Amino acid sequence: MKESTTAELYLSFATIFHRPHPEVVNHLEELIELWEEEIPDIMEPLAALKKFCQIYAPGETRINTLWEHYIPLFETGSVEAPPFASIYLSGDGLVLGTETIAVQTFYNSAGYAMGEKAEQLPDHLAIELEFLALLARDGEEVLLENFRQKHLIPFLTKILPRIKNGSRPVYSSVAQILQSWQLG
Amino acid sequence: MRRRQFLKGALYGTGSMIALGGCGSLTKVDQKTLAANQIAEKTVYSTCEMCTSRCTMAAKVRDGKVIKIEGNPNDSSTAGTVCARGSAGVSLLYDPQRIKKPMIRTGERGTGKFKEVSWDEAYTFIADKVTQIQQNYGPEAIAFASRINPQDAFFRQIAKAIGSPNTFSHEATCPMTKTTALEMTFGNPWIAADYGNAKYIITSGRNFFEGIHVSMVKGVMKAVQNGAKLVVLDPRFSVTAAKGEWVPIKGATDLAFFMAMANIMIKENLYDKDFIENYTEGFDKWVEAVKDKTPEWAEKETGIPKEKIIEITRDFAAKRPNALVEFGWRTPWTPNDYQCRRAILIINLMMGNWEVPGGYYQKKGAGVLQPFPDQAGYAKPTGGGYGPMPPAPKPSKGRIDGAGVKGTPGILIPVADGAVGQIPESILTEKPYAIKGWLVHRFNPVISMTESERIIESFKKLDLLVTCDVYMTDTAYYSDVVLPECTYLERYEPIIDQSGLIPKIQLRQPVVPLVYPDTKPAWLIYKELGQKMGIGDFFSFKDMEEFLERQLKPSGIAFDQMKEKGFWSPADMKPFYMRGKDPKAPAAPSLNEKGKMHIFSHEIEEAIPGQGIPVYTKYPQPGEGEFRFVQGKVAVHTNAGTHNVPVLNELMPTNSLWINSVSATKLGIKDGDNIVITAGKYEHKGVAKVTEAIRPDTVFCYHGFGRISPGLKRAYGKGINDNKLIPNAIGESGNVVTSMTFVKIRKV
Ligand code: SF4
Repeated sequence: MKESTTAELYLSFATIFHRPHPEVVNHLEELIELWEEEIPDIMEPLAALKKFCQIYAPGETRINTLWEHYIPLFETGSVEAPPFASIYLSGDGLVLGTETIAVQTFYNSAGYAMGEKAEQLPDHLAIELEFLALLARDGEEVLLENFRQKHLIPFLTKILPRIKNGSRPVYSSVAQILQSWQLG
Repeated sequence: MRRRQFLKGALYGTGSMIALGGCGSLTKVDQKTLAANQIAEKTVYSTCEMCTSRCTMAAKVRDGKVIKIEGNPNDSSTAGTVCARGSAGVSLLYDPQRIKKPMIRTGERGTGKFKEVSWDEAYTFIADKVTQIQQNYGPEAIAFASRINPQDAFFRQIAKAIGSPNTFSHEATCPMTKTTALEMTFGNPWIAADYGNAKYIITSGRNFFEGIHVSMVKGVMKAVQNGAKLVVLDPRFSVTAAKGEWVPIKGATDLAFFMAMANIMIKENLYDKDFIENYTEGFDKWVEAVKDKTPEWAEKETGIPKEKIIEITRDFAAKRPNALVEFGWRTPWTPNDYQCRRAILIINLMMGNWEVPGGYYQKKGAGVLQPFPDQAGYAKPTGGGYGPMPPAPKPSKGRIDGAGVKGTPGILIPVADGAVGQIPESILTEKPYAIKGWLVHRFNPVISMTESERIIESFKKLDLLVTCDVYMTDTAYYSDVVLPECTYLERYEPIIDQSGLIPKIQLRQPVVPLVYPDTKPAWLIYKELGQKMGIGDFFSFKDMEEFLERQLKPSGIAFDQMKEKGFWSPADMKPFYMRGKDPKAPAAPSLNEKGKMHIFSHEIEEAIPGQGIPVYTKYPQPGEGEFRFVQGKVAVHTNAGTHNVPVLNELMPTNSLWINSVSATKLGIKDGDNIVITAGKYEHKGVAKVTEAIRPDTVFCYHGFGRISPGLKRAYGKGINDNKLIPNAIGESGNVVTSMTFVKIRKV
């Protein structure tokens, strides 16, 4: 796979796991197209995603439907699959644990840091994926593989089953696709 | 290949960052900047907010993260300790279940469907709705309810600026009857007890060791260690009762016990005649009121043998004046509970324990010291922080609860708090006029107020319901707009006056930067909302640094000093008792115009003829098969506020219903059985805790459980929500009424 494709794939998943944003939500079809082209054996989740796009055309209803699921899944209150690596890998089930520090230190060693206006914690699933997109874009293959093995894979192993089994439209399908791509 | 453009553009078209949707958090930095940002270990002194007691605290911070919360070792009143809730603040701070962004409801109320929005969108939504309500119904149609806290002043500022008189605190659900009694007797509610030096303490339900206030707990422990007797009137054997003598009084009869005490003290000359003569008025009417309240009569009312009442009274009076009857904390038990609190205060006056060690005293804020030449130099009062502001519009209508109106029953309702139970009533009945908007700050009516389902029913009639909190509370779940406040470990608040026998002011300050970047402190939320609503002039301070500098300036205390130490008290001042050296010294409570304490209250008499002196009301007792339902606090939770906090939820995730073993046997109920509790039209499932530690005619549960918001994942659906079973009655001083509900129990 070309580096630019790898970067696009990481970015595609990052954008989905960030808070729903019209720029992304209204281009869901294009992300589906990318996954269909680049990731094998994902017929079932792709079909579900396409169906979702048929039911909900780009626009307010589509984004509100995603909010309806994103909030309880990742964001507030019941938080069915907390999107922070620290929750799964730091031992106390809280944010900003040892895994957050480790991830942040990795970003720093690669010359990146969380900007002042960052709206998420460093170990948020979307931020880790965004970081990998940047490494792929910059051709930092060794760093990428190192981060993937040390941080992303252990995190995905824990969080993806939760998202997948939560049966929330879009998110469970995307989790399945990401699982196919990253965890084989 | 549309997607090549879509994603490629984001990856390669905008410099080093990614600009697409929510991306763009990661930026390129050089190693020098990173090295400069390394943070060493430090301790930050602040004020706890895991309950409203406001203890001083010390947060240990390592690498920008709070690793531990302890007491402030320099504060002798807490002996450098915090309680379990205080130390659990770390797990609240780093809880993934906190609210992180403003939200606007997208589905029907109660379906939990929201979208996240920017602050600006949230403010615009609220401001537009408020304007609509103002235009259609007037500003008074918007009610404001909050938990009393230093920062809720900013919330109330919005009400003031739009001209709504309807501001309420949570106090009616907790200590309000005590507040009314203090105001009617002393002229102000800022009175405290000197537990540590007491030789005998009687408490009527106050459960020091579970309803924890650290410095008070330390005081009571000191007294008990020094040999003080502790007598606890309570239908339930509480932890406090376990540390003293349990007197298992029949519910709703405490006033009879105190009237009988007064009867004995008068008959046996066991009271301080000089004090009564010099400092009080109306004692003759009290003598008349209690003349037939004999121990024999009280035995029939309270179920306590007359010999026990006499013994307690004589032993207590023998310790005069260094002995006290505690006036209570969560006190709204009966409709006229304030009369019981008044009787307690009168017994204390009969003991002459005002302004002496082991008695009651006026809290010694700097302002209180000013008339005393030998004390005035120790502290200067702080000032206001708001800066100049325009005159507030005068509300065109009175409050919905009539609070504070002289010559009417409303005079019994403290205006600063209000009868919060009136809000749902006015929404539902539109009397005295309709409430159409309800703004809620760090308060949870669904669980904290009585009759949860009626509260929810009232929500459905509102045009606007806004909740600002740290969690998706049961009220937030039904709201149109939810605003995420940051925690107390991430914000400044106005100066907190915690004076006791010496002045003491405290600071609440950020211990770490915001964990969730789009949460905000209350001062900023209401300042920005005010600006959006066109009332920004009422918030003419740049930030909290400026606000606090202004507050501290007149006191001569430097802001930096407060930041460094977390609190300030005059170092060389000794505890000041106005009558410490001379029992005849002037010792009027502050703000008391006549300088005399009111045993007989003309104000009450004028409002409700015949009630100027406490009058006993004989309330019904549970019949066959019924139980009086009482509730209380537990040491590891605060009201309705902490049940979802990770560590505290782990310590106590649920509650159960305490039932006496004899009563349980009659009903075929065993310990741990599933039960249904019925109160009128309401039912609640629960689990029985069968115990000897409660009267056979009473059942009990800890408050704050049985949460209905799925957004409180850990606490959701666990245990009994006591307030689901209690009707929303409004007592004479505006209080809710917590202990007049009779329930039936059955096994399932
Ligand atoms: S009593 Fe406990 S929770 Fe309340 S302020 Fe003090 S330390 Fe904090």
